[in-house]
Amino acid sequence: MSVAAERELGLSGARSERWAPALAALLAVLLVAATAEIVLDGAVGHSPLIPKSPEIAGWLQGIGERLGYRVFLIAILVFAGAYAGMLALARGITKRSAIILIGALHALVFAGPILLSTDVFSYIAYARMGIEHGINPYTHGPIAIVRDPVYRYVGQDWKHVATAYGPLYTLLSYPLAPLGVKGALWGMKLVAQLASIGTLVLTWRCARARDLNPVTAILVVGANPLYVIYGLGGAHNDLIMLLLMMAAVSLTLAGRDAAAAASVLAGALVKATVAVLLPFMILARRSRAQILGGAAALALGALIGYAAFGVHGIDVVAALNRDAAFVSTDSFPTEIAHLFGKPGVFPVDHDLLKVALVLIAAYLLWRTWRGYDWVAASGWMLLAITVTSTWLLAWYILWPLPLAVIARDRRLLAATLTVQALFIAHQTTPLFAPVS
Amino acid sequence: MSDASSQLAGGFSARLPVSLRPRDEELLRDGRRRLIETTLLLLAGLVLAIATVNDVVLQTHVNHRLVADLRTWRAYTGHDYRNLSVEQDLYGHTTREVVCGNTTPGPPKERVQLCLVITGPVSHGRRAARGGWYLPPRSEDLRPVRYACFGSATTLALCP
Repeated sequence: MSVAAERELGLSGARSERWAPALAALLAVLLVAATAEIVLDGAVGHSPLIPKSPEIAGWLQGIGERLGYRVFLIAILVFAGAYAGMLALARGITKRSAIILIGALHALVFAGPILLSTDVFSYIAYARMGIEHGINPYTHGPIAIVRDPVYRYVGQDWKHVATAYGPLYTLLSYPLAPLGVKGALWGMKLVAQLASIGTLVLTWRCARARDLNPVTAILVVGANPLYVIYGLGGAHNDLIMLLLMMAAVSLTLAGRDAAAAASVLAGALVKATVAVLLPFMILARRSRAQILGGAAALALGALIGYAAFGVHGIDVVAALNRDAAFVSTDSFPTEIAHLFGKPGVFPVDHDLLKVALVLIAAYLLWRTWRGYDWVAASGWMLLAITVTSTWLLAWYILWPLPLAVIARDRRLLAATLTVQALFIAHQTTPLFAPVS
Repeated sequence: MSDASSQLAGGFSARLPVSLRPRDEELLRDGRRRLIETTLLLLAGLVLAIATVNDVVLQTHVNHRLVADLRTWRAYTGHDYRNLSVEQDLYGHTTREVVCGNTTPGPPKERVQLCLVITGPVSHGRRAARGGWYLPPRSEDLRPVRYACFGSATTLALCP
């Protein structure tokens, strides 16, 4: 390369470096503005995107307008675009700026209404069933407490459905039950925020332990549109599962195998999916402490679950089988069925998907045995579960994200973000043909 | 903090035969295998992307048709009601839809309902209502409860 060309490159590099902070600041403003638009418009209520809820964001009313699909989708697309730009510039962003941005996004969502999902009301209903009514949430659906004030907020599809969450989560939610519906709702929102902060702190630690840029790592997770709007906005318990998953990774990286295995098991007693990490972790480390720690945690968890809820409280397989039979319009198998001219997925498709998942698991386990990064393998497994699931919800695609940012295989992050982008793209139909 | 997982674990795993011990690096970093994996991932991504775009296009057409169906029902009945229910013919692969709504003001399905069978292409924002039936209050659109069928609903034997 000639000296002139090098000088030109250097100059343009310096120029882009000068512009990068200003561009990053602009993108940060867009992220905050898109979130504020959704939260403030959502606070007005009477929107198909905001579940029926006790008034918790009334003080924000009067600023925005009723949240419609069009505004919501434009805001999400702006958010996603700004997020992509932010990731491209992440190397130049300071730790302080990243924390301020993520803090602002968290605070906005915390102040606003519950977004996009009625799940949090199911969590509260199950807690109130156990504490206020003495009914086992593993044997009855919220229909059993039809006179309870939370019942009217539970999603129509879930009124007859017993809880599918682990006994640890159900017990953790019990202290919120006596606070009333509003109090419990704030409690759930606070728990989601704390779990998210914990997840981000652990993501930071893991990234540093693996000589990766921790600022980029927390931006990828904490400023992600699905994480902020769908995950935090809906106060989903997936955030608690992610916290325990990242605790397990962090403990493994610190060489504390027994505690790491116990953490995965604790996560699985919140939401069973995270248990897929365990075989990869065990194959990678081959440590007796890990097996003993996992076995002890499993025995303790099963004992507590059984004591609190009977045999139904520990029958995770039944709950997983039930959920695996559900079908959502956003799932990739449904989209592929449509592509081939079928109206949707059939029982045989469920079986084919299960076979595919088993083959993927076997391949990843074999790779891990031969020394492939177990964090990446676990992330691929979680991603495969979301892609092959016929019941796909936005917050499920968050599962592999914290692992993807700290994995040694960068293809995992690209694949996870691509799947998320496709999910968002699939939501955009009402932009092209709104239904009145 | 150092990445302890990248170091060989001591104790139990140190006593394992060499071939069974955990590895710091993957055996035989095979460039060809990575290429195959990446190609498969790209192909999978491509299929998912095509399926997503196809679904968005399909859904856009459906939405376009549903808007026309709702307009048709409102124009046919002269009622500007919002709470209408639309049922698609998912299994027959036709674009025939049935739109039901109250005949007098009231909560959804709480009054006598009029259902219209709507078919054909969208023209001037509407489609053709070829027939229909009535439903008693507080009932779902099930064949045994349909009455006073007219038009194509009679010829297609959609009523009891």
